[in-house]
Amino acid sequence: MDFRLGEKELALKEGIRKFAEAELPPDLVRNTVIDGEFRDFEFEISMSRKLAQRGWLVMSWPEKYGGRSASLLEQTIYEMEIAYWGIPGAWMGISGIQWVGPCLMMFGTEEQREKYLPLIASGQKDGVWCTGYSEPNAGSDFANIRTRALRDGDDYIINGQKVWTSVAHRARWCWLAVRTNPNAAKKHHGISIFIVDMKSPGVTVNPILNYYGRHHFNEVFFDNVRVPASNLVGEENKGWYYLMQSLAFERRSIAPTTYGNLKRILEELARYAGQTEYEGQLLSKNPVVRAKLADLAIDLEVLKMFAFQLAWRISQGQIPVYESSRNKIMGDDLMRQGAIIGADILGIYSQVDPDSKWAKLNGAIQGAYLGFPGQAIAAGTAEIEKSIIAQFRLGLPKSY
Amino acid sequence: MDFSFTEEQDMLRMSAKDFLAKECPKARVREMAKDERGYDPQVWHCMAELGWMGLVLPEEYGGTGASFMDLVILMEEMGRNILPGPFFSTVALCALPLLEHGSSEQKTKFLPQIAKGEAMWTFGLAESSGKHKASEVKLRAVLKGTNYVLQGHKLFVTDAHVADYILVAGRTGEGERPEDGITLFIVDARGPNVKMEAIPTIGGDRQFKVSFDRAVVSKDSILGKIGNGWHIADFILQRAAVLKCAEMSGACQAVLDMTSSYAKERIQFDRPIGSFQAIQHKLADMLIDVEAVQYLLYQAAWGVSVGLPSLWQISAAKAKANEAYQRICIEAIAAHGAIGYTMDHDIGLYYRRVKAAQFAAGDTDLHREVIAAELGL
Ligand SMILES: Cc1cc2nc3c(=O)[nH]c(=O)nc-3n(C[C@H](O)[C@H](O)[C@H](O)COP(=O)(O)OP(=O)(O)OC[C@H]3O[C@@H](n4cnc5c(N)ncnc54)[C@H](O)[C@@H]3O)c2cc1C
Repeated sequence: MDFRLGEKELALKEGIRKFAEAELPPDLVRNTVIDGEFRDFEFEISMSRKLAQRGWLVMSWPEKYGGRSASLLEQTIYEMEIAYWGIPGAWMGISGIQWVGPCLMMFGTEEQREKYLPLIASGQKDGVWCTGYSEPNAGSDFANIRTRALRDGDDYIINGQKVWTSVAHRARWCWLAVRTNPNAAKKHHGISIFIVDMKSPGVTVNPILNYYGRHHFNEVFFDNVRVPASNLVGEENKGWYYLMQSLAFERRSIAPTTYGNLKRILEELARYAGQTEYEGQLLSKNPVVRAKLADLAIDLEVLKMFAFQLAWRISQGQIPVYESSRNKIMGDDLMRQGAIIGADILGIYSQVDPDSKWAKLNGAIQGAYLGFPGQAIAAGTAEIEKSIIAQFRLGLPKSY
Repeated sequence: MDFSFTEEQDMLRMSAKDFLAKECPKARVREMAKDERGYDPQVWHCMAELGWMGLVLPEEYGGTGASFMDLVILMEEMGRNILPGPFFSTVALCALPLLEHGSSEQKTKFLPQIAKGEAMWTFGLAESSGKHKASEVKLRAVLKGTNYVLQGHKLFVTDAHVADYILVAGRTGEGERPEDGITLFIVDARGPNVKMEAIPTIGGDRQFKVSFDRAVVSKDSILGKIGNGWHIADFILQRAAVLKCAEMSGACQAVLDMTSSYAKERIQFDRPIGSFQAIQHKLADMLIDVEAVQYLLYQAAWGVSVGLPSLWQISAAKAKANEAYQRICIEAIAAHGAIGYTMDHDIGLYYRRVKAAQFAAGDTDLHREVIAAELGL
């Protein structure tokens, strides 16, 4: 065993720190976990471009697609640091960088790779993707999707509806799961993935505001949308297999980002507690506050090790079976724990609008508090992830 | 970064597993809980022959010079089997500080005896509050001629009844900080004026009150320097916290394995109970706890192994293990139903040992405080 970080990784951490200090206001703390509201789209994309110029944005991709073949360990550190510093623009709506790119490298055609990957890698608006999986009747039971693609000459024609589609209102492309064979013996077997240009005629995007009024996700309608057959990813009806891979990529990135984000929040809370007095005593001397922050720090250490262990396993060429689910559960739990502890420490100020001048710590705690329930649902609920662990790691019988 | 064990480490684990499966079945564990000595001398002898007591001791003292990580692997397996006996007291609490802080005469005299399994040791630190803190060390040691005279008592001293020597933290002076003026003495456990009284525990392990009523110790029985013993006590607590954590990690894994097997076999409502999500999700939570303990343990142990021990990592591991071991046992009993509440079932053996493990080498409060201080609070 060896848990030392190499010189490369240490230099990377240092580089990101310098970048953050140069590019961001000095005391910015943000909750970056659910990125993609793009409240200031131009600014975020300008930051994406800068990250691309540094060779960081898609660092683990091969050179020929705009990356620099960095190891997954470096990528993990990068994700932790980006989240720690709250650097906007790093995810570009997440899909493209975290799973569309890697999936196209595994399952796409060379033509698709050459067309789409450089757009993502260079940090352009045309490199922003959304992901269309969920439908009104297909949430956790995602294989239940009904959106149809029918072959028509050199094209497919798509009809149906997606929901909860994050950043569809900003995305140039959609990574879309559809049904191509409604008569397959099992519903998992008739699914395919398409790349859809969001500017195609027949695509309608309607905003859905989340409970705190932010425009994060959407419903997306497909009304006779014509897509060239060359936009099919991999083989027809093999989509479920690609989707499992894609979800593994998606769940992997949760632990490093949650770790970085919460590590910053923890440090800011410790600083705040050391500066805030109540009844003549600093909050940092209050035993309850000390115990809560220590517990958070301990569990964050677990999350860090889980993130590294998963990256290490993948880098050994092994296919992780349950680790992503483990990390997703741990990350979501900790986000909740951090948000609630943070709110307890801010006390009555935890209710202040995060954008108001009254907000402490730049509203990071309110951001986490409002955001964690959504993070815990996106990409698989705790119930689903725990069932995966039970079945695939512990060998228990299927429960559904 | 590397999360794998070496081939030699895998072999060490396998041979420990095999030995303990044969020599330390649960029937033996139960028997030893009632036994006066509390361990099986024959098994102890075999362990010494396998080189376990001297695992991390250099060859010149009869050891094999293995790494701290190797000891962690061995003790994970001991914890999995609940091996009874004074291994932890002797090796974790005493052999390590003797090696690190002993004079060359002390090392030459004591370490080979330990490696051969001929001497048993333990450590007396806590007094009436049970806390492992310098401010709680009240036992007095007064210089009379060339000897020190000890007056006071130690509580919760493990395996004192079989120990040949006890490492005792006493106060030889007062200073600005409570840490100042503490000295560690090597005391003959069977010497005059050293008395023992058993403190019966729910875990069935052996803990004692050891009283020193004008017990005489010679000056050359001091470990380290006079008045400067707290940093050795601290060294002991840190190393022992990791090694206790290793035992707990093994125990947690055993409880999870037992429970997931049972969930596949036990049929209710015509199906294995493991097909019910309420049970599945309990088990998934247990698995996450088990792996949390493992990886924090390995991180802390690796730091010690390569000479970069980290207070933060050690305390995180022990605090996590304290919480997780308890929770895993409670959930496991629930998942078993009534059978898990019986004397004949093994789960209870683990649950009853939770408390002893939690309070060994620093309780949760102590380790949380270390983290809080490191956070700058
Ligand atoms: C912030 C956010 C962003 C999102 N972004 C996207 C996106 O970009 N693209 C996209 O396609 N989707 C997106 N989603 C949707 C997300 O993938 C789904 O919400 C999720 O899969 C759960 O589906 P559901 O909401 O229909 O809940 P349901 O599946 O209806 O679940 C409701 C409850 O039932 C439980 N449940 C369901 N099945 C079982 C079972 N078998 N056993 C036990 N309990 C069960 C669930 O755990 C949950 O508690 C997003 C969601 C959120 C919150």
